[in-house]
Amino acid sequence: MYPRAFHYHRASSLKEAVAMLSQLGDDAKLLAGGQSLIPLMKLRFANPQHLVDLNFVPGTSYIKEEGGALRFGALTRHAEIENSATAAKIPILHDCAAGIADVQVRNRGTIGGSLAEADPSGDWAVVLMTLSTEVCCLGAKKTRTVPLSDFIKDAYTTALAHDELVSEVVVKAPPKGSGGAYIAFKRSAPVYPTASAAVQLIMDGDVCKDVVIALGCVGLTAIKAKDAEAALRGQRITDKALSAAMEAARAAADPQSDMRGSTDYKRALVGALVKRAIEVAMRRAHGEQVEVGHIYA
Amino acid sequence: MSPEGDKKNWVGKPLPRKEENRLLRGRGKFADDIKMREMLYLRFVRSPYAHAKIVSVDVSAAEAVPGVVCTLTGAEVAPQVQPFIEIAPDPGGKIKDYALAVSKVRYQGEPVAAVMAESPGIADDAAELVQVEYEALDPVVDAEEALKDASILHEEAGTNRVWNGVFEYGDVEKALKEAASVVSIDRLHFHRFSSTPLENNVVIAQWNPKDERIYYWCNNSFPSFAIQFLSAHLNVHIDRIRVETSDIGGSFGIKITSYPQMAVCALASKKAGGRPIKWVETRSEHITSSAHGNERTFRDTRVALDKDGVITAIASRHIDDCGAYPRYEPLGCVIWSQVFPGVYRFKNARIDFTQTVTNKCPVGPNRGYSRMQHLWFLERVVDICAHELGIPADEMRLRNYIRPEEFPYTTPNGCVYDSGNYPKMLQVAKGLIGWDDWKKKQAAARKEGHLIGLGIGTTLDSGTNNFGQSQIVNPGAPFSGNSQGANCKLDIYGEVVVAVGSCPQGQGHETTAAQVVADVLNIHPDLITVRTGFDTERNVHTGFSGTYASQFAVSGLSAVHGAAQKLKAEMKRLAAFVLETQEDDIEFGTGAQGPELRAKSTGKSINYWGLANIVNVNSAVLPVEMHDVTLNCRYIWRAPFKVPDKVRKYGNLTLTYASQLHIAVVEIDRDTFIPHILDYVAVDDCGTVINPPIVEGQVYGATAHGIGAALMESCVYDAVGNMLTSTFSDYTPITAVNMPKVKYGHIETPSPHSYSGAKGMGEGGAAPIHTISAALQDALFAEGIIVDDSFNNADSLFRAMVGKEIGQVGKLVKLERRAQ
Repeated sequence: MYPRAFHYHRASSLKEAVAMLSQLGDDAKLLAGGQSLIPLMKLRFANPQHLVDLNFVPGTSYIKEEGGALRFGALTRHAEIENSATAAKIPILHDCAAGIADVQVRNRGTIGGSLAEADPSGDWAVVLMTLSTEVCCLGAKKTRTVPLSDFIKDAYTTALAHDELVSEVVVKAPPKGSGGAYIAFKRSAPVYPTASAAVQLIMDGDVCKDVVIALGCVGLTAIKAKDAEAALRGQRITDKALSAAMEAARAAADPQSDMRGSTDYKRALVGALVKRAIEVAMRRAHGEQVEVGHIYA
Repeated sequence: MSPEGDKKNWVGKPLPRKEENRLLRGRGKFADDIKMREMLYLRFVRSPYAHAKIVSVDVSAAEAVPGVVCTLTGAEVAPQVQPFIEIAPDPGGKIKDYALAVSKVRYQGEPVAAVMAESPGIADDAAELVQVEYEALDPVVDAEEALKDASILHEEAGTNRVWNGVFEYGDVEKALKEAASVVSIDRLHFHRFSSTPLENNVVIAQWNPKDERIYYWCNNSFPSFAIQFLSAHLNVHIDRIRVETSDIGGSFGIKITSYPQMAVCALASKKAGGRPIKWVETRSEHITSSAHGNERTFRDTRVALDKDGVITAIASRHIDDCGAYPRYEPLGCVIWSQVFPGVYRFKNARIDFTQTVTNKCPVGPNRGYSRMQHLWFLERVVDICAHELGIPADEMRLRNYIRPEEFPYTTPNGCVYDSGNYPKMLQVAKGLIGWDDWKKKQAAARKEGHLIGLGIGTTLDSGTNNFGQSQIVNPGAPFSGNSQGANCKLDIYGEVVVAVGSCPQGQGHETTAAQVVADVLNIHPDLITVRTGFDTERNVHTGFSGTYASQFAVSGLSAVHGAAQKLKAEMKRLAAFVLETQEDDIEFGTGAQGPELRAKSTGKSINYWGLANIVNVNSAVLPVEMHDVTLNCRYIWRAPFKVPDKVRKYGNLTLTYASQLHIAVVEIDRDTFIPHILDYVAVDDCGTVINPPIVEGQVYGATAHGIGAALMESCVYDAVGNMLTSTFSDYTPITAVNMPKVKYGHIETPSPHSYSGAKGMGEGGAAPIHTISAALQDALFAEGIIVDDSFNNADSLFRAMVGKEIGQVGKLVKLERRAQ
């Protein structure tokens, strides 16, 4: 189908885009990669009056290493991150970027758009939650920096005011001895995962000094599995500790039954994914180069 | 073969497809590529309800939108047309099927009204403004529930039952009484899925007021069937309907049933004063409301076996769910019986077959149509019986297969299997996959708790239907036999032009037809132009023309071959006259001036231009006795069928039986429950192969389709008939990332029933569905689980293995051993 008629506005700077949002009001939506918005408009589930296109704003797509952090321009495409040697220094970022949907989506979809949409099934929020991540929000008067944990409020709801937009995403590089991994189960390439698990940990020998575990697609937002983390923190990672983490992750999950799977199945699955992600993260923390891909049906 | 016979220079060669250049460069010509002056765009208004009374339809707001030219509603259309032909006898025959719902809607997505506008966007906008008031009725989505007739879809029929018949052969009761063991299986279920062609349905229609003819440009895949339905429905002489198809981006059978939308487009064009109407189906429309494959439930199965595990009888009750309207049905109620015993030797069987309507999308013939459900059932029966009796799955099959020396083999219901060698296919497949190695690996993995299963699926792809089988479902049906038309000519400047009544969707007909003609005329296939794509005006179609049901290699190429032989005979006669020699002195070849005919005795020759010149533009030199030479030869091939015995339900229903033997090795992950295919082999036998890469391509495509159906693709409805898989995000069609590496092998048992030894192929019998079910079953027997459904994904495996909700062997299967 064709979308309903809308007014198209092309912003030449992020500042101008913000001004347009203020002026156009609630009926305006930002167009970044458009990989969710455009299909929704074509199905007429979303019918914005105005689209403010960010794609022609120069200098919004970059990956910079600065002061122990990686800075991503809001319109950096998933594919650019997938193919970036800089981003690959934090392997979990590559796991995420390389596994989002299919090539076509990765070539268009953006990291800023994904975070701002806050889809419960989105990949980036799950992964970035395991790292120290800040979202730069540009408003009419000022730019504020919001920690990711405060940025995503609920399903499809963020801390962004209507006339604010995501300008940059800043990810602090994890310390030495860190390893991370992101694994999702996807029924086919283009679809959202059934469940996903992101693990970022710091190893000291065979003891887990610290760990962050986030679960995707099993709640209204990405879920931080605190009990699962506690089961590993300060522990040697034994089969018993792994099982405890797996069970705690299952308990933390709050999935809905849908075509991707039943509640009980998703709960079982997310535990298994956490276990696998921990194993890969550990090996990476020990300096091993491990390629990991999503699991497909 | 005489020197004048066909030399097989081209048939059998891996000739690259002639279509490739056009299709791979994006230069194909598809229906949606056609734009016409004054064309309007149609958008359907569809029902959100599965079952509801239509209280009112108000199109006034839609018609007020600038750019909207007109609208159509069911109430407006009904008086102008006859309900579509029903193939069923009464009560199913009383069903009144209109292209737009008249007083009721019977499935979610059923078209209720249509809006015609100057642009697709305006049509979309206006369609949203059509106000339809519904009064919800009780929906019935389960076939067995539907048969209780608590909520009736079609009041005029008075029942949801479309058709019922008992297929009984031999002495089932005696065999059951004398059996060494009897295995009972309570319920098996074959799920609903469909096809996902790259190109959705497209129709352009023009009801031209100047000549009172209806012109169609579309991608219907069985146009000669569609025009028969449309002519009767629209009260228009069939010769006034012209249908043209061009390149088609896949059909897999489900584009056969686009005739209702074709009817709406014609009526819309009539109302719009003859302006052409274009309808391009969206993907969601395609998934919710084009056509699905048949869903089938197998109840109360009892299998008699002798002391060696040889099946002696099967008795069962099968319930087929055809969705809201029968349309091509109830042909599926007999088509499965083309493969009544599958690849097995049992002689006694009783299948009580019932078909019902439900509040779901109507079904249409979908790759493997009606036979795959039955073949899946038989393969499940074989594996379950083997397990109950402690016989290995491969050994069980060898004991029960029809033997190579028994071909041609007459089945209990009178079908004649032309040729085959199932034990040899099994041997080839086992060799390719490394069966013995996998058996060892499986045993070792089991010790470590890994669930690995090896599954065998043996299937049949019956091709070239005897339409006389329609009389088994309806004794009054006016169909029997099968035929196809072709034309082969030398055009005015001597070009060889072949036309055939098929409408290929990727099957390479241009190439294979050229190969056949090249051998007849002893010229290079590049010198032959093949016109494919249906066109009623080409006069090469019969009532069976189209591309469906695995038959082109037999029906299409037999027609092409016949036409080429006729042309060859005329060319020879004419050349003998011109070169002043005898016909047997003439040889065909290529000379300095292109393709030519030569007198061996004198060395004199005439090229194709010379021959065509005489007949077409220089005909005064032609003596009167040669005036019947036209060099424009039409040939209608007819299959050698008889009308089946309607009472006994006995007779040969298909001409050729290609076979497939697949083996899968599948592991079910203990933690994630995700089934992974570790190894896969597909061995194919379609008789004499005309073009190996085309055959291999069809095998890969059918394998992907089947793996998708087995593990990923299912049309799911909730309890009130909402379709839950209406987008690709939910339906998840298989893509390359989901495909295992497939090892391909083939054997050739030439068919004695076709001139070339070839058998129709392409559907592949949905072999992977049986094969993957078998592999999962092999992995799960030890867990006490029966694979009782054709669709198995991680979630359903979890529900069986952990939830113990489904597939529990104790509840579903019973073994009774008798003292002998």
